[in-house]
Amino acid sequence: MRFDKKNYTQLESALIKAYREKEKPQVSEQWEMNVMQHIRSLGALPFKTSPFELFEQFGWRFAPAACVVIALLTFWMVKLDVTPEDEMAKFSIDHPIEASYIEMPGL
Amino acid sequence: MPTHTTIVEDYDIVRRVIGGDINTFGFLVKKYQGHILSVVGNHIPYNQAEEVAHDVFVKAYQSLLTFKYKGGFKQWLSVIAVRTCCDYWRKEYRSREIPMSSCSEEEQKFVERASAKQSIQATSQENSQKKARELLDRALVKLSPEDKMALEMVYLEGLSAKEAAGLLGWSVANVKIRLFRSRKKLRKILTGFLEN
Repeated sequence: MRFDKKNYTQLESALIKAYREKEKPQVSEQWEMNVMQHIRSLGALPFKTSPFELFEQFGWRFAPAACVVIALLTFWMVKLDVTPEDEMAKFSIDHPIEASYIEMPGL
Repeated sequence: MPTHTTIVEDYDIVRRVIGGDINTFGFLVKKYQGHILSVVGNHIPYNQAEEVAHDVFVKAYQSLLTFKYKGGFKQWLSVIAVRTCCDYWRKEYRSREIPMSSCSEEEQKFVERASAKQSIQATSQENSQKKARELLDRALVKLSPEDKMALEMVYLEGLSAKEAAGLLGWSVANVKIRLFRSRKKLRKILTGFLEN
């Protein structure tokens, strides 16, 4: 039997259809029990966790608390009116000698 | 698509199993056995599917420490299932004895009906479906395990090349190349069967 392209396309469609309508296997409760029995026989997994892995797993849980702390600190700093340039200017006017000592080493 | 809740539930179960609560793994077996049987059933002969599905869950348990908590557990399990099917075929190929016979009379009849436009409908009949499956299985078994898997997943199941690449752990380009080659081989095998 000789095949031209058209015939082969038709055959392909029929084969794809047959493939997709293949009967799916079913399992019993016994199968499930056998799987679990096999897994239990293997014993518990060797639990080794590095600090980095622990952080990766649990670190994100602290993210909301960290956000709240950051917000509170920001609010506190804004309320205190922390402006380092003004403080430095005030300090250099009031204590010019001490200020020059601080500036020299880059403090 | 698994929901966020499902994913988080699965993550919790995985953590408990890793923590030593082995029996909790039973929830995952119950939850995903249908899905795994469906994946395995597509690639493995019907009478072997149970055994291979069993192996999938055992392998999943043994590899649980490598689970990265990224993406769903279902996806991770599907990858294991597909790779277990590949392993099954590699083992089979090492010990295979495939008869190189041409089509049986019934298969020949099926092909004649299937390739004649007016009778595609006829192929939906139970017997024709069975013959079609037998013919396809005989042809697929002649491909390499990798070609067979790529062809089944993309061409027969209808997955995208990207999805198949994710499950097989290959690049998309590799899947496309294999698919192209295996389709050509399949055609050659089928026409070879029928012309003999």
